[in-house]
Amino acid sequence: MNTMKWLVRREFWEHKGAMFWAPIVAAALLFCLVSGTVLYGAAQGEFQRELSVKLASKGDRTIMIEKGLGALPMEQKTQIAEIASNGYLALAAPLFLMLAVISFFYCLSALHEERRDRSILFWKSLPVSDAQTVLSKVLTAGIVAPLITIAVGVFLSLLTLFVVAAVAAFEGINLFGMVLSNANFYLAPLALVGLVPVYLVWALPTIGWLLMVSSWAKSKVFLWAVGAPLLVIGMLKWVNYIFGVGIRMEWVAENILVRGLMGLVPGNWMGMVKMDKATMANNTSMILSDIFTNSWMTLATPQALIGAAAGAAMIFAAVRIRRWKDEG
Amino acid sequence: MSTVISAKGMSKHYGKSVAVDNISFEIPSGRIVGLIGPNGSGKTTTLKAALGLIPFEGEMSVLGFDPRTQRDLLMQDVCFIADVAILPRWLCVGDAIDFVAGVHPRFDRKKAERYLANTKLKPSMKVKQMSKGMVVQLHLALVMAIDAKLLVLDEPTLGLDLLYRKQFYQNLLEDYFDENKTIIITTHQVEEIEHILTDLMFIRDGKIVLSASMDEVGERYTEVMVSGDRLAAANALQPIDQRTVFGKSVMLFDSAGPGGVSRAQLAVLGETRNPSVADLFVATMKGTYA
Repeated sequence: MNTMKWLVRREFWEHKGAMFWAPIVAAALLFCLVSGTVLYGAAQGEFQRELSVKLASKGDRTIMIEKGLGALPMEQKTQIAEIASNGYLALAAPLFLMLAVISFFYCLSALHEERRDRSILFWKSLPVSDAQTVLSKVLTAGIVAPLITIAVGVFLSLLTLFVVAAVAAFEGINLFGMVLSNANFYLAPLALVGLVPVYLVWALPTIGWLLMVSSWAKSKVFLWAVGAPLLVIGMLKWVNYIFGVGIRMEWVAENILVRGLMGLVPGNWMGMVKMDKATMANNTSMILSDIFTNSWMTLATPQALIGAAAGAAMIFAAVRIRRWKDEG
Repeated sequence: MSTVISAKGMSKHYGKSVAVDNISFEIPSGRIVGLIGPNGSGKTTTLKAALGLIPFEGEMSVLGFDPRTQRDLLMQDVCFIADVAILPRWLCVGDAIDFVAGVHPRFDRKKAERYLANTKLKPSMKVKQMSKGMVVQLHLALVMAIDAKLLVLDEPTLGLDLLYRKQFYQNLLEDYFDENKTIIITTHQVEEIEHILTDLMFIRDGKIVLSASMDEVGERYTEVMVSGDRLAAANALQPIDQRTVFGKSVMLFDSAGPGGVSRAQLAVLGETRNPSVADLFVATMKGTYA
């Protein structure tokens, strides 16, 4: 257990730039952009004029602000506060897309870089098994990196929300009280953390595939990782075209390409399993808990379980391959 | 005295070429063994096999473990430096010590820090900022602070200056080595280690051509400064090597060789002494690159 702690720490040292500083820099930029726009708008008196706000999460419904924010009826003020407390974390969405890209390249280099720079012999001179080493990389990509991004993302969202609410207060609408008294405002970050295990399970096929390629390829890891599945699909298409075998291409494409390469994108499971529409409430306040429960429920689907098993098998293969690889 | 490494009919092929050819040897504990051979003779391959880094044919047991299947257990008691000391470029000195202290139960942090105090290395320094010699210094400090039963050093002092090399071997002997430990060293700078070795192993073309303790080597081989008038007599005794120093012939005799002459017989020919490992090596490896 202690060894695992140090192995994960080692990964963090090596990839501090990509896993820690990159989200922070991106968050700082996002913060400047969003709060700058809001402050500029306030300074220009934009919120005093006629304004139509499109609420994406509520479909096509728009709130028409005719005489400035302060003049809105109470019902709509509550609605704005509701959306703010439930959806403020959406501000961090770009960070999560960035996480997917960073984790992708992290996995790809995880077992390749140590052979390329020949430091693998140093790591192998310590009493750390190949299984422990590979597992520490799985944990880093599947748990540690997302947790760091969540922390940075929540911090960014809170800060931005504070600026927006402060501006709104000046405009005659007090969001602070309504947002702070909304339970979802506190539950949202917890829900994100609570979804990390779901993320890990759905990311396993991609993590496993990338680690396996990383442990095996002598060079050009990216080409192998992306090119090989594309080649397989191309060949299947060709065979399908010539012989008309009738392979269901969408199924193959989805399972090989999407599961094998896109699994690190947070929330990818929502596209893989049809969420039960009936249980999805129309009420804004219910969206959060719905996403949470439905996400956990996807773990019981064959897609999740088979994918995770395939991922675990590839991770095992990566361990076995690393066992006999030294430099080169 | 227990056996640390025993190999029986160990071979390693890379494709069609044979790197190690059916070798058998035993290394007891409490020895410092020099594994000496020309480039490409199979030294590194033999060591890598013993460390469970590469698969091989035949039998090998290291500290009672099979390095192929029980490597994780083996590494609890073994430490090594591979032929070129390379550490990851992003690692800094302080983190390196923390990490090894964290994962290695036999690591003595104080000892590592003491070794580092004698160098110009600072805790915040990263490997990428270090000269090659400094990387080796860090690596040696880490490894020397590990209380391992078997330490394998493959070209440990490559890139170090003479001062540090001398100091390293002195530390190795005085501070690290004891009767429960075994050290295997390969190096091309034979002169520097011959005084600390207890055993000698010569390897050539994947075969062990000499395996003996330093005492045995001293008894078996004799170097004679042959005076000019005894040259013909000396040549008749079939020396294994011959060179000229300041106009005098220096001949090397193997008492177990075809001539089979004892030191007493040779004393008649001129001044006798123990040959240096380097001279013995050159004589044994004659024609390797021919």
